Amino acid sequence: MRFDNIIIGGGLSGLIAAVVSQRAGKKTAIISAGQSALHFWSGSFEFLGNIDGNMVIDHPLMEAERLPDSHPYKKIGIPHTAELLSKVAPLLQEAGIKVKGSLERNHYRLTPMGFLKPAWLTLDEYFMADHPSQIEGKKYAIVNIAGYIDFYPNFLRNGLDKHGASCTISAIDIPQLAPLRKSTTEMRATNMSRFLRNDAVDSLAKEINMASRGADEAIVPAVLGMFSDEPVRRLRNQIDRPVNFIATTPASVPGVRCQLSLRDYFIRLGGTFIPGDTVKKGVFDGQRLKRVYTVNFGDMPIEADNFVICTGSFFGHGLIANIDRIYEPIFGLDLNETGDRTKWYDKDFFSPQPYMGTGVTTDSEFRPSLNGHTIENLYATGALLAGFNALKEGSGAGITLATALHAASKICS
Amino acid sequence: MENTPRKEYDVIIIGGGATGAGTARDCALRGLKTILAERLDFTAGATGRNHGLLHSGARYAHTDPESASECIKENIILKRIARHCVEETSGLFVTLPEDDLNYQDALVNDCFKAGIHVDVLDPKEAVKIEPAVNPDIIGAVKVPDGSIDPFRLTTANVLDARMHGADIITYHEVIGFEKSGNSITGVRLRNHHNGEETVIHGKVTINAAGIWGHHIAKLAGVNINMYPAKGALLIFGHRVNNMVLNRCRKPGDADILVPADTISIIGTTSTRIPFDEIDHMEVTPEEVDLLLREGEKLSPALAYTRVLRAYAGVRPLVADDSDPTGRSISRGIVCLDHAKRDGLEGFITITGGKLITYRLMAEEATNLACKKLNINKPCETAEIPLPGSEPDSKDEERRAHIIELSTEQKAAEGRHGSWTGKIESRSDSDDALVCECEQVSVAEVNYAINELHVHNLINLRRRTRLGMGTCQGELCACRGAGLLDKHDNCSDRSLKDLASFMEERWHGMYPVCWGETLCEVQFTSWLYQGVMGLGDSHL
Amino acid sequence: MDLQQQNISDNNFESCIKCTICTVYCPVTAVNPDYPGPKQAGPDGERYRLKKPFFYDEALKYCLNCKRCEVACPNNVKIGDIIQAARIKYSSHKPSLRDTMLANTDFMGSMATAMAPIVNFTLGLKPVKLILDKVMKIDNHRTFPKYSSEKFETWFRKEAAEKQEGYARKVSYFHGCYVNYNFPQLGKDLVKVLNALGIGVRLLNGEKCCGVAKIANRCIDEATRDGRQNLKAIREAVERGDDVVATSSTCCFTLRDEYPHLLKLDNHDVRDHIELATRLIYRLIDNGDVKIVFRNDYHKRVAYHVPCHMEKLGWTIYSTSLLKMIPGLEFIHLDSHCCGIAGTYGFKKENYEYSQGIGEPLFRQIKESGCDFVACDCETCKWQIEMSAGVSVLNPVSVLADAIDVEKTMLANSSPS
Repeated sequence: MRFDNIIIGGGLSGLIAAVVSQRAGKKTAIISAGQSALHFWSGSFEFLGNIDGNMVIDHPLMEAERLPDSHPYKKIGIPHTAELLSKVAPLLQEAGIKVKGSLERNHYRLTPMGFLKPAWLTLDEYFMADHPSQIEGKKYAIVNIAGYIDFYPNFLRNGLDKHGASCTISAIDIPQLAPLRKSTTEMRATNMSRFLRNDAVDSLAKEINMASRGADEAIVPAVLGMFSDEPVRRLRNQIDRPVNFIATTPASVPGVRCQLSLRDYFIRLGGTFIPGDTVKKGVFDGQRLKRVYTVNFGDMPIEADNFVICTGSFFGHGLIANIDRIYEPIFGLDLNETGDRTKWYDKDFFSPQPYMGTGVTTDSEFRPSLNGHTIENLYATGALLAGFNALKEGSGAGITLATALHAASKICS
Repeated sequence: MENTPRKEYDVIIIGGGATGAGTARDCALRGLKTILAERLDFTAGATGRNHGLLHSGARYAHTDPESASECIKENIILKRIARHCVEETSGLFVTLPEDDLNYQDALVNDCFKAGIHVDVLDPKEAVKIEPAVNPDIIGAVKVPDGSIDPFRLTTANVLDARMHGADIITYHEVIGFEKSGNSITGVRLRNHHNGEETVIHGKVTINAAGIWGHHIAKLAGVNINMYPAKGALLIFGHRVNNMVLNRCRKPGDADILVPADTISIIGTTSTRIPFDEIDHMEVTPEEVDLLLREGEKLSPALAYTRVLRAYAGVRPLVADDSDPTGRSISRGIVCLDHAKRDGLEGFITITGGKLITYRLMAEEATNLACKKLNINKPCETAEIPLPGSEPDSKDEERRAHIIELSTEQKAAEGRHGSWTGKIESRSDSDDALVCECEQVSVAEVNYAINELHVHNLINLRRRTRLGMGTCQGELCACRGAGLLDKHDNCSDRSLKDLASFMEERWHGMYPVCWGETLCEVQFTSWLYQGVMGLGDSHL
Repeated sequence: MDLQQQNISDNNFESCIKCTICTVYCPVTAVNPDYPGPKQAGPDGERYRLKKPFFYDEALKYCLNCKRCEVACPNNVKIGDIIQAARIKYSSHKPSLRDTMLANTDFMGSMATAMAPIVNFTLGLKPVKLILDKVMKIDNHRTFPKYSSEKFETWFRKEAAEKQEGYARKVSYFHGCYVNYNFPQLGKDLVKVLNALGIGVRLLNGEKCCGVAKIANRCIDEATRDGRQNLKAIREAVERGDDVVATSSTCCFTLRDEYPHLLKLDNHDVRDHIELATRLIYRLIDNGDVKIVFRNDYHKRVAYHVPCHMEKLGWTIYSTSLLKMIPGLEFIHLDSHCCGIAGTYGFKKENYEYSQGIGEPLFRQIKESGCDFVACDCETCKWQIEMSAGVSVLNPVSVLADAIDVEKTMLANSSPS
C-alpha cells in the first residue's frame, strides 16, 4: 500500500499537516493509535502567553523574539512562523470551526476556575475579553445544569467579581436530561451534548433565558454541539442576550468537535484516516524511511515518500518513560533526555517540570535523527519535540500548528 | 461538628491519631468530660502513614514476645469491634531460597508461645492459595494477619467519642500549658484557621501526639527520649496479592506486602531522621529502589505493576540512646505518669506501641487518668462495637440486597459499614460519583463535609478515599473543590486548597515519576494548569 | 535496574489514566444510562473486582462488545476485553433458554434449513412474532433473516469442490453460520471471485460456529469446545499450505482475537494465517500477484458501512480500496458508526430500543446518501440496516462478484480451467 505522505499521529498537529498535504494533491494517510489530546481542548489556542514569568498580552510576536534560538518559533523564524500561523484560522473555518483572535495581540479567555489567561485564537462561542476592563460593570448570569459537577459557578463568579462584574448563579433542568442524570458516572459534558439536540435545545434555551433575565450576558458550560455548532447557534438564536461558553473537563465537547471536524474535512478532501492502529517499526534505506509496519496491518507495510511523526508527549505514549530511561517507542529516535530520573521532575508541582521539555531532537528542518544520523524524509512536530515547556509558556497550540504547517510545506514541495 | 470548646474538662487529649481518638472514645464512654485537640487533621501523623497491617504479632514473636502477645489479643478484638475497618485476609510468612529455613521453626514455636495460631503449609499449597507470591518459596506459614484501614478506624473512634459527649476540635495546636504549682491545669491552643488563641482547662491532660509528643512534653517541661524513625512505603495500582505476604526472616526492610482496599502496599524501611524533618519527609530514590528490589522477591509481579505513589511515616520510638537503627527497639507501649516520673501532676504521655494496639494504649491511658480523677469505671472499648461495625440484625437481608447494588453502592457500604444509611441521598444528582477511581459519591462527600470534620480536600481524602485511586485526583480534585466551596463559600481559599491538594498528591508521585504515573501527571498538569489556570503565579 | 522496565497488566487495565475518552465513543452510553459506561465497567470496576468478585455489577451486560472504546483509547487499554472477561468470570446469571437458542446458531441453523420455507414463512408472521415477543422476549419488531433450503457446504460439495483441485494455489474458507444457513450466495460469490483470480477454495474440516454469540450470551463451555474444533481445523488447513479466509468481519475478529483474549485458546501459531477475503485479494492485487478486470457496464452508488469489529481489526481500508478499484462504482463515505444490533443483542426485547437508538444516526445518513445499496462485511449489520434503513446490503465480495468480468480476469491471470 502506498501513499505520498504518511502522518503518524492523529492529533491537532497530524490533522493540520495531513489536511494541507491532501489539499496540495498529495495522497495522504493518518495513522492514529487512539483519540487525541485535542479532546481536552480549552477552547483556545495559545501562541505565547508567558515569558520570563510575565504574562504576554501585547506584541506576542515581538516577545517571541526573546525566546532562545533553539525554540521552534525561532528555528522557523518569527516572521515565517507568523505567516504560517495566519493560515490556521481560515483552515479551521473550512473545516467548520470558527475561531476569533489575532497574532497581533492576545486576548483573554476565562478558565473554568475563573482565571483570565492569554489566548491567541478562541472558539467563536466561548467567553473572551480583549481587556479585563471589558468585564467591569457587567452583569453575568452564570447558569449551570442541575447535577452537573464539572462546572464551577462559584469559582467563575469569584474570578469575574474581582474584575468588577456582578454575577448571579443558578442551576436549571430540562426533562430531556432526566434519563442521563440517573447514571452515576455518565453525566459528562460529552454525553449531555448527545441529549441536547433539537427540541431539547429549545427547552434549554427557554430555561437559560429565564434564568439570565436582567443580566447582560449568560455564561454556561460548553455542553452543546459535539459534532457541529448547529445546536449552539440554535440555542443562541433563542436567547435574548449574548451567551458564552466555558470549557469543561476532562473531555471537552468543542474539543471533540474540533477533532471530528478536522478529521472529516481531511476525509472529504480524499484523505485516508486509519484509526486505532499503532506504528510498530520502520524500515530504512540508508537515511530514508521507506515504509512502516503497524499492529493491525501486520505483514503488509505502508510505503510513502515522506513521513511526519506527531505522536505527542508522554500522554498517548509518544514518549515512554520506564524507571531508568525515556525513549521514543516507534523508531527509537534521538532524544534530549538524561537517564537520571531524578532530573526529570521538580518537587514543586507548579514549578516548570523538566520532563515537559523532554523530546525528540531535530535539525533546522525539524527532522529527527537515529543514533546521530538525520532521517531525510521524516519530520517531527508538536509536543514530541524537545526543548520547550509549552505549559509554562502558553505556547502548546502555536508550536503544534507552526511545526505542523512547516512540515507540511516540506512534504508538499 | 466542632463546638466552641467549653472551659473546663475532666480530660484534655492532645493528638488526633488512632491513640488520641481511641482515648477520647474510652474516656467518653466512661462518662468523663472530654476534649480532643488535634493540631492538623486526624491521622495526619503515623496513623495515616503506616502499612495498614492488622498484625497477627508473628513478626515480633521472637524479638518481643510481650508485644506479640498484645498484638494477637488486639487483632482478635479489632476483628470484632471494628469489622468494617478490617479485612480478614490472613497472611503468609514465606521463606525464600536465600533465607534460612530454620527461622521458620523458631517462628512457629514463638508464635505458639505467644498465643498466635499458625499453620505450616507446603510451599506449593501456599502458591496455590496466593498466586502472587514468589513461586520459588521453600517455606510458608499461614498466620491470622489482616489489613486495617486506619482512616476509617480513627473516624469511627471519633464518632463514638462525639456520640458520648466528647468535644472534638481539629486544626488547633497546643502552643503552651497552663500550670498551677507543679500541676498542669490546661492548654493554650492556636486555631490554625484564624490564628486565634484560646485556653481550655482540664484536670488531666493526655499527651497522645505520637512523635510530636516529644515537643509537647518539652512544652510541659519534661523530657522523653524519643527517636523519629522514618519508614518509606510504596503503593501499587491494584491489589496484587490477597493475603498479607511477610518475609520469614529477622525483620528487615521491605519485607511485608499488604493488600489494602483496592491497592497493595510494600514496606517498609527504617531510618533515623532529625526532629526538624518530621513534618517534611521525602521518599528518596534509594528508598524507592530498595522497596522495589526487595518487594519483587516477595511477589515477582511488583517488577511490572504500576506504582501509584510513595509515602513516608515516622514512628514514635522511645529508646536508649545507644541503639542507632531503631529496628530492635521494642515496639512496646509506653505509658508515662509524669507525676511519678517528673513530679508533674495532671499530665500523662501515652506513646510507642503500634496502630493495632491503639485500643490497649487508650485503655492504659484512660485507666491512669481515671485513677487520677478517682473514677472507678471499667473499660468497655473491647466489647462495644465501633460505629459502623454494629452487628446488623438484618445482616442476611442486607447482604442479599447488597448483591444487587452497583459497584459504587457496594463500595460505600464497605467504607461506612452499618452507618452507610446516614449518607443521605436526596436525588439522582446526589448519587453521581465525584471520585470515579474510588467510587465516592456526591452524597458521601456532603456527608463527610457535614459530619466528619472536613475543612479541606486533604481531610476529605482521608475520610472518603477521594483522590487515592490511580488518577491521584486528576478527575476528582476539582469536583471535590467545587463541592467544598459550596459549603465554604470562599472561592479564593478553595482554589488555594485545590492547589495545595495537587501539591500534596505530587509529593507522593514524583518519587515514582515514570511509566503511567508520569503519563498521568502530565495529563493532570495540562488540565489543572493549562485548561484551568491553577498555579499561574500572576493570576 | 531491571525492574519496572514496563507496565504489564491484564488487558492493560493499569494503563488507564482516566481521561474518559472511551466514554465519548461508546455507543451504549448515549442511549442507555443504566450502563455504567466503558471506563466504570472496565478499568475502574476491575480494581474493585480484583479486591472481591462481590463488586461485579450485572449492568455490564449492556456492553455491546463493539470495541470502539479500545479503538479510541490513547493508551491501548483493552477496555472491551476487560468488560467481556469480567462478564465471563464474575456474572452469576445463567443464560436463559432464549439466550441459549439465539446463541446456538449451528443448531438453529441446521434445524431451520431443513424446513426453510415453512420456517421463513412462520417467522415472518406477525402473530408468531408476538408470541416470540411475549414468551421468549425476542422483540417482535425484529425481522429474522431468511433461512436457505440448501446449506452452503452442501452446494459446495456438490457443485464446486471438484473444480477447486485444479488450482495451483488454494485457500480454506471459514464461511460462518450466516453463509451456511441463510445466505450461501455470498459463499458462491467468493468462490467465483477467487477462482477468476486463479485461486481455489477449500472447506475446513468440521467447521463450527465461530462462537461470538455464545460468548456474548455466556455459553462459554460450548464456545470453547467449538473454538478448539475450529482451531484444529484451521491448523490442518495451514499445515497443508492454505491460508484461511473469512467473509465475515465478526467471525474473523472472533477467531483471531476473542479466542485468545476471552476463551484462553492459544492461537498464536495460526492467527496470522487467518484474514478477511478482502485483505487477501487486496494484497495479491497490490503485490501484482493477480490481476482483476471489471465490467465496464457496472454503475452503482455504493455507501460503505464500517462494522465495529472491522474498525477494531483495522482492515476497513482493504475492503474500501477494492470497492474503489471498480471503475463504475461511485463510492460514498459513511461516518463510522455502530448500527446497534450487536449480533443477538438487538434481538432481545430489553435491548431493542437501545439498539435502534444507537443506529439511528447511521440509518439517517444512509437514507440521505442516495446510495443504491450499502456495502458491509458484517452479516448482522446487514440485517439491521436492511430492516431499519430499508436499503439492501451486500458484502464487498458480492460486489466484486457482481462487478468482475470473469473471462477477462481469468485471461489476465491465465488460470487453469
